Amino acid sequence: MKYPYFPGCTLYTKAKKLDDAGRECSLKLGFELDELKDWTCCGATFPLVNDQHITMSGPTRILADTKEQGNDKLVALCSVCYNVLKRTNHVMLNDEERRAKVTDFIERDYHGEVEVLHYLQVLRDEIGFDALKEKVVKPLAGLKVACYYGCLLLRPVKEIGLDVMENPTIFEDFIRALGGEPVEFPYKIECCGAFQAVHSMDTATRCSRDILNSAKDSGADLVITTCPLCQFNLDDRQPEIQKSDPGFSSIPILYFTQLLALALDLSAEELGFERNLIDPLPLLREKGIVS
Amino acid sequence: MAENLLQKVVAESGQPIDLCYQCRKCSVGCPMVEEFDFPPNMVMRMVQLGMKDELLKSKAIWMCISCETCGSRCPNEIRIAPVMDSLRAQCLEEGIAPADPVTVALHSAFIESIKTFGRVHEATMLMNYKWKSKNFTSDLDVGIKLFLKGKIPLMPKKSENMAKIKEIFQEAGK
Repeated sequence: MKYPYFPGCTLYTKAKKLDDAGRECSLKLGFELDELKDWTCCGATFPLVNDQHITMSGPTRILADTKEQGNDKLVALCSVCYNVLKRTNHVMLNDEERRAKVTDFIERDYHGEVEVLHYLQVLRDEIGFDALKEKVVKPLAGLKVACYYGCLLLRPVKEIGLDVMENPTIFEDFIRALGGEPVEFPYKIECCGAFQAVHSMDTATRCSRDILNSAKDSGADLVITTCPLCQFNLDDRQPEIQKSDPGFSSIPILYFTQLLALALDLSAEELGFERNLIDPLPLLREKGIVS
Repeated sequence: MAENLLQKVVAESGQPIDLCYQCRKCSVGCPMVEEFDFPPNMVMRMVQLGMKDELLKSKAIWMCISCETCGSRCPNEIRIAPVMDSLRAQCLEEGIAPADPVTVALHSAFIESIKTFGRVHEATMLMNYKWKSKNFTSDLDVGIKLFLKGKIPLMPKKSENMAKIKEIFQEAGK
């Protein structure tokens, strides 16, 4: 089975390993991510104001291209791209006036025909977590995982609809299928500080600190995420947190596809852990997941 | 004037702002409220009262990161993120100096990157942002660390569809 795939800009650069591991794992699980031709940036923020048609032209073009290349589905791995594409499609389906304006502007015929899926959704709804469990070669036994959702994978719930707002479980069910142990932590849907990290580091440090302390207080060994920006904030802010709180012990932040790759017995050397600021390898060796 | 602001924000955001009855659920769960000069519930009241000048000069409208937590919890189903976006747009339209100019610098550096490459290229985008914000040295160490870890490639990869991108930007500029 082939799924049309939109990687997005960051998965070619900073989050290359989210992409690499996702593609490799899909082959092991019996599906293929077929990269969309000639894709451009999704815009990275969904235009919230009704008359901002230009900002919606990028994601609409991507969806129209997907349709014209003969597809009715589009898979994304990055939370940001997923959020923007899914919400744009929601407008295409539900707001005729806005749809007509944007599609007229870019001179394309599009009516919301493409279903936007997150990779996790493919695993849950198309492959099935039970089937995934059967494909696991190296169960993540004894690994306590904090499943961090952040904002964009979930909200706004009415437009995204991946899971419920306050206590989603798709990520935890995924970890259970891999044989790991998800921990419940209160900050799993809180914001990491997002792009404030670029000019207000202190804000991102505060947000990340609260999330990581919550995860650690719940007994987590590591945190997983679907979002390149969350991964950056949670990983990169830790030395700064330690400056103001010397008692703070670091915790590795992995992309969910990296953990999936380990459970499917892909080589840890291919997973780019050297790119992580907080090295997960000592923990993974201690747990017997990596030799 | 009061009516104008409320009407404009309602039209642009599509939100039923008059339904806000100050339960403050938005402000309690807001991850950014510590950085705001007015908490979200107060922003809503100020929109109702038409306090345009105070709102367009506020820091709150620029510190909101559209995480949509408030909107998902509002008992009246008012989403504040689009309201903030409308206020930001009005601030720029009216030529008012934004209370947080660096956010504006970041957004414009991002758009310019798409204009040039069709995709975002972090290294050149962040250099452009540094130039615009005149803030050259802060978090330089972060950039160097990311570069050394191979997370910031030097050479940008252009989209193969640049002609179309140029056309869209030209059309939009009219």
